[in-house]
Amino acid sequence: MVASALLALQPGAATGQTGARSAAGAAPADNGNWEMPGKTYASTRFSAMREITPGNVNQLKVAFTFSDGTNKGHEAPPLVVGGTMYIVTPFPNIVTALDLTKPGAPAKWTFKPKPLAASQGVACCDVVNRGLAYDGGRIFMNTLDGQTIALDAKSGKAIWRTQLGNIARGETVTMAPLVAGGKVLVGNSGGEMGVRGWIAALDAGSGKLAWKAYHTGPDKDVLIGPNFHPFYASDRGKDLGVKTWPPNAWKIGGGTVWGWISYDPKLGMIYYGTGNPGPWNAEQRPGDNKWSSGVFARDVATGQARWYYQSSPHDLFDHDDINEIILADMPVGGRMRQVLLRPARNGYFYVHDRLTGQVLTVAPYGFINSATGVDLRTGRLQPNKAKEPHQGKVVRGICPAAPGAKDWNPSAFSPITGVVYIPHINLCMDEGASQANYIAGTPFLGMDVKMYAGPGGNRGVFTAWDPVHQRKLWEKTENLPLWSPALATAGGLVFYGTMDGWFKALDQRNGRELWWFKTGSGIIGQPISYRGPDGHQYVAVMDGVGGWAGAIIVGQLDARDPTGALGFLGATKDLPSKTSKGGTLYVFALPH
Amino acid sequence: MSSPYRTSVIVALVLLTACRREQRKTEDKSFATTVPAGTQPGLLVAGGQLAFKPDPKQAAYEHNANALAEGQRLFSWMNCVGCHSHGGGGMGPALMDDEWRYGGRIDQIAATIVEGRPNGMPSFRGKLTDDQVWKVAAYVRSLSGQPTKDVVSSRADELSGTPPQTLEKREPVHPAESTLQ
Amino acid sequence: MRRAAPLLFLPLGACSGVQTSLGGQGVEGASFIGLFEIFLAVTGVMYVIVIAILLGGLFRRRANEGPTPVPDARHPLLRPALIGWTGLIVLGLSGLALASFLEDRTLARPGQKYPFSIQVTANQWWWDVQYQSSDVSHTVRTANELHLPVGVPVHVALKSNDVIHSFWVPNLAGKQDLIPGRTNDLVLEPTQIGQYRGQCAEFCGREHAKMAFDVTVESPAAFQAWWSAQLASAKPPSVAEAAAGAQIVTSGPCAMCHAIAGTNASASVAPDLTHLASRRSIAAGTLPMSRANLESWVADPQGHKPGSKMPKIPLDAAQLHAVSAYLASLQ
Repeated sequence: MVASALLALQPGAATGQTGARSAAGAAPADNGNWEMPGKTYASTRFSAMREITPGNVNQLKVAFTFSDGTNKGHEAPPLVVGGTMYIVTPFPNIVTALDLTKPGAPAKWTFKPKPLAASQGVACCDVVNRGLAYDGGRIFMNTLDGQTIALDAKSGKAIWRTQLGNIARGETVTMAPLVAGGKVLVGNSGGEMGVRGWIAALDAGSGKLAWKAYHTGPDKDVLIGPNFHPFYASDRGKDLGVKTWPPNAWKIGGGTVWGWISYDPKLGMIYYGTGNPGPWNAEQRPGDNKWSSGVFARDVATGQARWYYQSSPHDLFDHDDINEIILADMPVGGRMRQVLLRPARNGYFYVHDRLTGQVLTVAPYGFINSATGVDLRTGRLQPNKAKEPHQGKVVRGICPAAPGAKDWNPSAFSPITGVVYIPHINLCMDEGASQANYIAGTPFLGMDVKMYAGPGGNRGVFTAWDPVHQRKLWEKTENLPLWSPALATAGGLVFYGTMDGWFKALDQRNGRELWWFKTGSGIIGQPISYRGPDGHQYVAVMDGVGGWAGAIIVGQLDARDPTGALGFLGATKDLPSKTSKGGTLYVFALPH
Repeated sequence: MSSPYRTSVIVALVLLTACRREQRKTEDKSFATTVPAGTQPGLLVAGGQLAFKPDPKQAAYEHNANALAEGQRLFSWMNCVGCHSHGGGGMGPALMDDEWRYGGRIDQIAATIVEGRPNGMPSFRGKLTDDQVWKVAAYVRSLSGQPTKDVVSSRADELSGTPPQTLEKREPVHPAESTLQ
Repeated sequence: MRRAAPLLFLPLGACSGVQTSLGGQGVEGASFIGLFEIFLAVTGVMYVIVIAILLGGLFRRRANEGPTPVPDARHPLLRPALIGWTGLIVLGLSGLALASFLEDRTLARPGQKYPFSIQVTANQWWWDVQYQSSDVSHTVRTANELHLPVGVPVHVALKSNDVIHSFWVPNLAGKQDLIPGRTNDLVLEPTQIGQYRGQCAEFCGREHAKMAFDVTVESPAAFQAWWSAQLASAKPPSVAEAAAGAQIVTSGPCAMCHAIAGTNASASVAPDLTHLASRRSIAAGTLPMSRANLESWVADPQGHKPGSKMPKIPLDAAQLHAVSAYLASLQ
């Protein structure tokens, strides 16, 4: 019954089953390409193609593969634009264009940016790259050593190069750029190295800096001006980026931008989250530590902040707020609202008003004991005192762990079902804080972390979440931490990969596993779906285990020390027996 | 000499040997330390290896509990823990295993700390005294069980609950096969 | 033996000056002295009674040369005497217990609000001191010194980074342990302006003796002025020699452990040096503050305080001179 009703709906139909739909204007009709990691400015990761369905997915076969020659963590999605596929590797960030019109998709060109080798030493959690962006005949990329480069999509020649990050201070760039309103938006990584976080906008044509906003320090650095109207009182006041820190601590306080940016072209506003404050030992930074671990809305043209919401004031657990932000329109309290959907790292699923930042509804989508809730009156997270880390002491059983209930790997949103499909993790941890010592270009942490599986013993979960009623529809547990993003299709499927290399297709209705394929290495890459030059639907994903969760593989770490890889080693001891390094593109299609 | 008397004399003499492991050497009395500049980390040497003489300082640092404890303190203060954790590694390679990219001799480790290495290991030249470098290098070797059990700590000082070093078995030292990653 | 006799009076030397528990320059210390006096009075009276009875017994024993008399259990005074004696003991002990309880209550100050709090973290072998108010951006970090406004109760949070230490300013209050992984509390309310000395009072390793700190009790206005001055960044060096020293300090090994606000030295495992020269002593009371002593300390920390975590940095005479010029300028 439900199924037939579902299939009867047209893609992009007015309202999904739950009542939520993609934000009008931010998610145009599907042209069969995949031009940015989020698929659309609304960050839906949804393909409107429906050739592959629950009925025929079991016939899905490999169409072609491509080994990119590197073997660190592959978090980037392939991009597809008009018959050409673009892939980017982790460090050394090689870009390859594949010609999809020819059998076997041979390479058209390869671009090697040659980032500095030393940048690998200041990349906190593997030397990943989260993707490219395409706009107006150009491919935009970031390199680990902090450059942003525009390439000619046809020839692969560099048009401009701008150096933004400084590895001597511990800054790297791992995020995918977003091109919005003629600007290339880039932020820095390095919240574990005592950097000062920022987001910068470069002119897409020339590569010249248009604006740069820091996330600590005085208002003029943060680009907070007269148009800044945060919804909650605790975010109002002058120079909070200085006043909510001990003296000078804001200069090394983090608040980086290494995740996802969404864009509402109608409002001309970008939405993105800021990273954790540093150091991890929170006793060294009393105060709310603004503007870390929160969400900013900014005017894309000027960079001026419009509103801000802090998900984790005075963050205690490395709960960056950089996760994806899905733009949707849905009924809240009987009225259609323009909203942001945010499965945040601290374990709460937030629904915000896109115009004001107000938290409309909030509910936990994972197991949380580190906080007792979110006060809707003040907007404030209510931390659990018993789980607060203290220097010289070990606090046990903190859930969720440092990577949160979900880390960087984005969810998918289907406007047909109105459901958010969240790939996430179920980890808890012990923490022992110690004095962190700031030395430029070295880690700034002051925390011993040891992670392990949360309640239930499974380390990964895939959850279908109804954002309108804030409830779980179904979930599928995964033994290993789930570190791959999700893809939803109009055909009624969701795709994701596991760290031991199973690429899976699930039925959107009930989470039943309908198809699976074992890749050479574990999967943490973003799956995409596109229309090939032959008109058929393809699904593509990169394997290549790594990232923070896969550090044990890429760094050949020693599992006898559970605190290795900032504590992730404790939760991934068995990974080397299940997978090894790789870096191969897999493209699937139905026989035709 | 009666047997209990003899036994107690022997016990007393044995106990005396324990006094050296803890000997505190303040820097005034320590060896005049120098870190060998550019100790080659690889095995290939044009024209064959030069005769290698083990550095006498190695014993002085590696067989001294205080030097190892100070090395451990510096390993944490200088943020080595941030990348190498308590030996398991993270941003940097594991130090408790049997693989040494740039050589596992104490002088090679000291050189790695001082010079830095191209894939991300920062240089501490002019930032640590030579004595401190040797202490850290001695501690690094203790992570893979190189020093004798009587000098290492019988309790893990960090908060993580990693097993004490006295329980660690000695890993063979594979010198770097290659300088490439 | 005769010659050693004056040594018996040596401990009395502790009863005067900047470090004495009989000073009573704080509310806590003074009320301790009150308690001490009650205890002294009660135990003193009991002592005199016991000694008097003992002497009486001795005296009677001497008077009767005959055989030891058997005590007469039916003596009319025996029963009331025993009851009286027991009553006296119960009364005396109850009085002491009550006095002690009331004293503890006073010291605990339940519900008291404090204008600011001082976090003292003990390290081998120095004191890390942080002044914290509700405005976190006015946090001040200093080391081995305490400034206190007279007549204002101040909360002190006590922590330790390594082993158990004990915080003791005898003139102001009793001692309190600093235990790793715990926070202990102490309230200081000084009543007299002056300079005092605090000392670690729990053996904590080789340099336990050289783990002291200076306490300055001043008028609230002077205290506010001190706090504001401490908030400022270090002034850039004005003379060439100090500038050369600044170069060495902020780019060399010093910056791996120490912080100087306003420079790129932001490390925090050793004392903050931003206003080093404004303190009264160097290295937790090891040397009085002067440029000569600063230079001597940097030249040979292990000679002054063997085992200290401060390494001997290889510097030539000119460099040492430059470093001491810079450090002495950090007012």
